[in-house]
Amino acid sequence: MSTSRQYELVYIVTPDATDQAVTDLHSQIEQIVQRFGGTFDKTENWGRRKLAYEIGHHREGTYVVETITGSGELMKEIDRRLRVIDQVIRHLVVRVDEELRVADRTRSDRSAWVARRRVARGLPPERQPGEGRGDGDQDDDRDGVEGQR
Amino acid sequence: MSEERGGRGRGGRGGDKDKAKGEGRPRGGFFRRRRVCKFCAEKIDYINYKDVRILAPFLPERGKIQPRRISGTCALHQRKLQVAIKRARQLALIPYVTD
Repeated sequence: MSTSRQYELVYIVTPDATDQAVTDLHSQIEQIVQRFGGTFDKTENWGRRKLAYEIGHHREGTYVVETITGSGELMKEIDRRLRVIDQVIRHLVVRVDEELRVADRTRSDRSAWVARRRVARGLPPERQPGEGRGDGDQDDDRDGVEGQR
Repeated sequence: MSEERGGRGRGGRGGDKDKAKGEGRPRGGFFRRRRVCKFCAEKIDYINYKDVRILAPFLPERGKIQPRRISGTCALHQRKLQVAIKRARQLALIPYVTD
């Protein structure tokens, strides 16, 4: 069995498509996801939005964002299908699990580092309510910038 | 910026020196803003390509990606920003070019 990965799928539907057409499209994708044993995590409909440039004579479009967990084959199939459907004027599939994992790790590393520093200075590890932005904290911020350079 | 840091050394860095840098270089004669990477300063770990408000400050009128030497973004975040901007362009959230 292929490994499970998290993907983000964004597609733009023509502005003249009805709400019904958009829901139909969504259920169509849902069927493919089910067939390949993937799961739907989240759906977001941004509604009608102005496009930054013209795509096939359209100046606006309906944006739909879906978060899907599944295999690469599943996304390949969805990609192929969306390419065929004329109502979808643009779509993009992005694998997000690794990026989010990296972001999570940097976040937890930073909080761990802050806690260590605070303990070293004889403070409780967590920031206390009502604690102002002291000089020490500003120094920490600069160190963070240097560390990432 | 890197040569400034190299000359000073890590240990001798004080609060007053940071302030001096904010007012421009002592020798060069021209005004220079203190450049801090926006993503490091605001602790933004994931640069979301769907969030136009994050990307917009790095796109001058022409729609080109602002170089690092001007925006002050660190190398790590400039790389991530670049990918995010290119994705947003594909989705027509931001333009490729504006005339």
